[in-house]
Amino acid sequence: MDVVLNDVRFGRNGRTVLDIPALSFAGGTTTAVFGPNGAGKTTLLRLIAGLEQPKTGEVRVGGVEPGRNPAARRRVAFAFQEAVFLGRSVRRNLDFALRLHGIDQSERRARIHDVADECGIGPVLERPARRLSTGEAQRANLARALVLRAPVTLLDEPLAGIDRVARAQLLEDLPRLLATFAATTILVTHDREEAFRLADHMVILIDGAVRTAGPTGEVYRRPSDRQTAAMLGYTLLRLGDSWLAVPPGALGLGGGGGCPEFTLLVERAVDMGSHFHLLGTIGGVKVDLRLAAGAPLPAPGATIRVHAQFHIHMR
Amino acid sequence: MSDLARGMAEAARLLLSGDRELYGIILRSLMISGLATLLAMGVGVPLGYGLARGRFPGRTLVLGAVNTGMGMPPVVVGLVVWLLLTRSGPLGSLDLVYTKQAMVAAQLLIATPLVVGFTAASIQALPVQLPDLLRSLGAGRAQTLWTISREARLGLLAAVMAGFGAIISEVGASMTVGGNLRGSTRVLTTAIVTETSRGNLPLALALGLMLLVLSFAVNLLLTVLQQRRVG
Repeated sequence: MDVVLNDVRFGRNGRTVLDIPALSFAGGTTTAVFGPNGAGKTTLLRLIAGLEQPKTGEVRVGGVEPGRNPAARRRVAFAFQEAVFLGRSVRRNLDFALRLHGIDQSERRARIHDVADECGIGPVLERPARRLSTGEAQRANLARALVLRAPVTLLDEPLAGIDRVARAQLLEDLPRLLATFAATTILVTHDREEAFRLADHMVILIDGAVRTAGPTGEVYRRPSDRQTAAMLGYTLLRLGDSWLAVPPGALGLGGGGGCPEFTLLVERAVDMGSHFHLLGTIGGVKVDLRLAAGAPLPAPGATIRVHAQFHIHMR
Repeated sequence: MSDLARGMAEAARLLLSGDRELYGIILRSLMISGLATLLAMGVGVPLGYGLARGRFPGRTLVLGAVNTGMGMPPVVVGLVVWLLLTRSGPLGSLDLVYTKQAMVAAQLLIATPLVVGFTAASIQALPVQLPDLLRSLGAGRAQTLWTISREARLGLLAAVMAGFGAIISEVGASMTVGGNLRGSTRVLTTAIVTETSRGNLPLALALGLMLLVLSFAVNLLLTVLQQRRVG
């Protein structure tokens, strides 16, 4: 089911939070909405879920505006960033959500069984939902959205606030879960790795405006502007009048035979065992060079020549 | 001790004898305070919800006023209502002074701040995003309110108990605006005052026991509702 925004503006306290002339999410895709804190990512999800009404323009989910219609809101399953539960067991929380969606009892049982199995919340199904650990709560929160098998699934920072081990596990499980239970997914993240690992499409949102949108590979290969390039992990270096966006790992020692060259001021070298990281600055910009173990290491304070093996010209 | 024992015996005798006047007083107390509690819930629950969730200038001031109202002396409320309803007062033309309606009005004023305060506290204890969650699941307005009330039921039933408990046991306002007229506005508390001043201590004590039993019965019923596991 397609999600389409047309000429949408939304403000709060007289400040424009979102200004989106046109944006659409095609049915069957998984899109990461990626941007810094305060970019308007959560507001975008709330508009799609029908929890906010745009000041102008329209948000349509399968052609219908969810802000005006409870039935249309049921096309969208929304997992909030902070899990909110009724004061009941996890099972009853899931059951309640399904009941509001008009699912009959035997189907509810079967669906809860399936989703609990897949999401790994089987052991905590009978526990009070408000007393789960953060990691368990995040999974239960996700399960409640997935169990609805809604045409559109919204996930707001699905991996936020959980410890590293639980996060790594969930990051591994999520693509399979989405493939099983979700059709069109829109997820919000401020983490680059999450965006690339989970989504096939990407929308970059900065200061309430869409900077670029498209398949993840294309978005990465053609950053629209310097801020977007920085969000995507490029190092921005000044060369004469122009800016170069250099992807991670693309800086090499010495001159580069036609490649753009820079002077690097060495701060220190970090011995990682299998290799070294050379940390320093180029024109005040922090950079990080990976060197093979055994290479001669420059002393802190030294300046060395480096070149960019790959770069993109930015305006 | 002998007064206490005689009081118990008298209470048992009166109850078993089916004394019409006594049962009339009990029923009247229950009707007046019950109606006032219901009305206070009708007014106080929406107000409490609005105070808990609303964001408007002066909200803290209103909450402060409500919290003060929770401890308002009933006799002062009674005095104000009496001044409003008395023949020469602004509402004197309604001819309500020394009626059950006047007692309900005074008790409503005493119970409402309690209901508002308890409701606001219980709603504020719920997750802020709960209404959003229900809306996103496609719940309509009525379903959302019903679910939130169920989630807040511990606090809401505490609000009923606090409101009812305060007015079934108050005497100052009932005496002032009701006048303790036999067969018309005499309730348990005003009857206790009367019998005590007449020196009829066993009867006063018997009435006091009735009041406790009545209060206990109502609160037990509410507590059972409150503590029931919600499916």
